[in-house]
Amino acid sequence: MALKLALAEVSQEELRHEILHTWETAKTTWVVPLQIGPIDISINKIIWFLWIGAALTFLILFIGSRALKNRPGAYQVIVEDLYGFGRNFLGGQVGPEGMKWFPYTLSIFVFLLTLNLIGLIPSSYPVTSNISFTMTLAFLTFILTQYMGIKKHGAGKYFKSWTPPGLPAKFIMSPVMWFLHLIQEFSKPLTLGLRLYANILAGHLIIFVFLGLILYFGSFLAIVSVPAAVVFYAFEIFVAVLQAYIFAILTQVYIELAIYADEH
Amino acid sequence: MDPTGIFDLPNTSLIFWEVITFAILLALLYYFVYPPLKNQIRQRQQSIEQAIDEAEKTRKEARELLQEYRQQIQEAREEAREIREEARQQGQAQRERAKKEAREEADRIIKRAQEEIQRERESALREVRQEVAGMVMQASEQIIGRSLDRDEHERLISRSLDELEAEVAGSGSGR
Repeated sequence: MALKLALAEVSQEELRHEILHTWETAKTTWVVPLQIGPIDISINKIIWFLWIGAALTFLILFIGSRALKNRPGAYQVIVEDLYGFGRNFLGGQVGPEGMKWFPYTLSIFVFLLTLNLIGLIPSSYPVTSNISFTMTLAFLTFILTQYMGIKKHGAGKYFKSWTPPGLPAKFIMSPVMWFLHLIQEFSKPLTLGLRLYANILAGHLIIFVFLGLILYFGSFLAIVSVPAAVVFYAFEIFVAVLQAYIFAILTQVYIELAIYADEH
Repeated sequence: MDPTGIFDLPNTSLIFWEVITFAILLALLYYFVYPPLKNQIRQRQQSIEQAIDEAEKTRKEARELLQEYRQQIQEAREEAREIREEARQQGQAQRERAKKEAREEADRIIKRAQEEIQRERESALREVRQEVAGMVMQASEQIIGRSLDRDEHERLISRSLDELEAEVAGSGSGR
């Protein structure tokens, strides 16, 4: 009887609302309604946190680049190491010509990392768990990739490079391989966006689900749920860094692959 | 659209603001952050390289200086030894010269003394001779009772004395 009472504390529908609260309410919180023609560009909690993340990203790097001294303090070393990380580990994955793109991917890395970490603060909004955000950023990568490929090789040569040389049965295989590569070109940004979105969303959902179990089954489950949630929270910090890095380095690699399209 | 908000596609406001925000962020970073960072890192690299170069130069200079000092010390030692050697030789020569001079002086004194002795002996001999001749003459006068011609007498005595002398010398050398 007692168990039944505990189970009846919240309905499944209510529990779902509790778990998804962050995402359900974000669009209707802190709203400043705006409109361009038929397009809604209202500012809401998502946008506010997007801006907080962007501002923090800029400030972290800006302060580190302003207070420059020849004998650096700890903070300057961190910022310089971040820049050095971009130069040594992001740029030049395929060839030296990709080096000029590392500031872009480094910006992405710091921006995503900031957003991921801000999203871990309770009652914030994890912007990177919004598929519109990640897909837009992935789409930018896609545009830059194709732009660099066409700029470097010319449209004809670039698209021709999609078929590998030395194919047997050239008449049939070339279009097939070209088509496969076309799919690959589009799947790149798709997976790029989905990966970040799914990882961050899943991490948050797991924490909320663990905590939601307490609401559903009763407070005794906190003995299990809270430690599990804490462990996943810690794991989320790692995921935040990892996913930001993966997104940044894949963007870099895709752009460099397009620059060196003729070598593959 | 999606009421749960976990598959929020398309969220036009987010896409719109994201593009704008990201563009502004990139512009700010490219304009305000990356150039000074790049400069700073390059500058530090240069200053480190410079410091290393300078240190190497200083070390080289120090080594050269040390070499020079060692050489100077070596030269000074050599010189000191030469001076000592020279002084020693000079001393030696001085001593030799002094010794030689002393010997010469001694020789001279001895020679002079010998000459003196010789002279003294001769004069003594002469006196003895005169004395003896006088005495002989007196004795002869007394015996003979008359005075002999002095010159004659002296000649006689002198001859007999010479004979005597020659005899003495002869027996002296004959022995």
